[in-house]
Amino acid sequence: MNDMRLTERVVTDTAKMTARGVQVHYGTNHALKDVDVDILDKTVTAFIGPSGCGKSTFLRCLNRMNDTVASARVTGKIEMDGQDIYDPRVDPVQLRAKVGMVFQKPNPFPKSIYDNVAYGPKIHGLARGKAELDEIVETSLKKAALWNEVKDRLSAPGTGLSGGQQQRLCIARAVATSPEVLLMDEPCSALDPIATAQVEELIDELRSQFSVVIVTHSMQQAARVSQRTAFFHLGYLVEYGETGKIFTNPDDPRTESYITGRIG
Amino acid sequence: MSNTHILSAFDRDLEGIQAMVMRMGGLVEAAILDAAEALETRDEELAQRVRAGDKAIDELETQIHAECARVIAIRAPAASDLRTVLTVMKIAANLERCGDYAKNLAKRSMVLAQMTALPGATGSVRRMAKQVTLLLKDALDAYIARDAAMAADVRQRDQDVDQMYNALFRELLTHMMEDPRNITAAMHLHFIAKNIERVGDHATAVAEQVIYLVTGAIPGDARPKVDSTTAGPAA
Repeated sequence: MNDMRLTERVVTDTAKMTARGVQVHYGTNHALKDVDVDILDKTVTAFIGPSGCGKSTFLRCLNRMNDTVASARVTGKIEMDGQDIYDPRVDPVQLRAKVGMVFQKPNPFPKSIYDNVAYGPKIHGLARGKAELDEIVETSLKKAALWNEVKDRLSAPGTGLSGGQQQRLCIARAVATSPEVLLMDEPCSALDPIATAQVEELIDELRSQFSVVIVTHSMQQAARVSQRTAFFHLGYLVEYGETGKIFTNPDDPRTESYITGRIG
Repeated sequence: MSNTHILSAFDRDLEGIQAMVMRMGGLVEAAILDAAEALETRDEELAQRVRAGDKAIDELETQIHAECARVIAIRAPAASDLRTVLTVMKIAANLERCGDYAKNLAKRSMVLAQMTALPGATGSVRRMAKQVTLLLKDALDAYIARDAAMAADVRQRDQDVDQMYNALFRELLTHMMEDPRNITAAMHLHFIAKNIERVGDHATAVAEQVIYLVTGAIPGDARPKVDSTTAGPAA
């Protein structure tokens, strides 16, 4: 049978990040059990699963955010472009410039819109002089589809923007350090449907430049924005595959139960 | 996997559209059998009832379509739920077509009732109709039971209907060659036989939907066909 499916736009099959045998313990709680996954380059990967399934925990492993949690213990191997990100020689701050993160609630710094975006490039020394910094701020805000709305008030406080605008400001802030991977932990859960659609459109545009990994509770959102979906349950990565396949004919009955809204 | 949704209204919706398609299947089976009986017994009143009854079948299809659209819009079904809705829509379309064939059979039976009967032909048509409604019934039973093996069996058994059609085709040809005055009746009977054979194809299509519903893939292999009437001049 000829495959005539109108599935996805072209997806690269090169892995940007690879995780092998990743385990996470929070004290005595075994939160993540033996996770193997390849995050593809220039692809949106969605992590779905019920609360407490380990999806956010795994997301936070990808830029070593779990380092900041005293009780967390991460074992296994996570590589980016073949380099172990848990190597003692890797500076987590540098890593987080390459693997950016956007959180559930928009959390702009209590600074001007301009300074919110300029902060990262400044501390990482990515700009030589004001002109270059101005350019980074402008292109980042354009990439986050916020430029036209804020270009006349760059010195106004970022906290004065609407929720959707604040979230796009946070995305601009993450984009400003030219990341290679962008992690998003429920980036739309505090946004209205219009702002959600704008962020989703943005995610789709951003993936031409880098990998995006998004944790979401909205299965429709996962289906809309991602090309790959991973389903987590009770700390296990149950199923990982092409999004269209996961949502029409998943292999694992637990995935089926979850995405169809049945009791698992 | 649990069989019930957390949101119980979703279960009621899915059961509802499936119940409607089953009711439609029941009406179509009865229509085909009644039309074939009307043909053999020259019962014009029964034929008239079959013709009038097609309206209810068409209305059910429209209703099923509207309900499926609503379920898609409101429930955003995924995976097996999505396949349930998609297959219900396709099966309803198949059944609607079968209803049209039954109606056509009834219409032609009224014309044939005015003519000299061809010996044996209406009996063969009725046997074929029985065979084909059995296929349809089994395909729909397989649907409700989510039984892919039973559906695969229906696919195979469509060959029997094809063979009955081939035999009838030759029989009608013989009648026409024997006496040109038989041609009008034989032509009507041939269209009837061909339409019943088409119902068999729709039963096969329903069976294929069952396989898709259960496995997630439409069977790719070409299904068995034994229609020899298109192979060349019949001997």
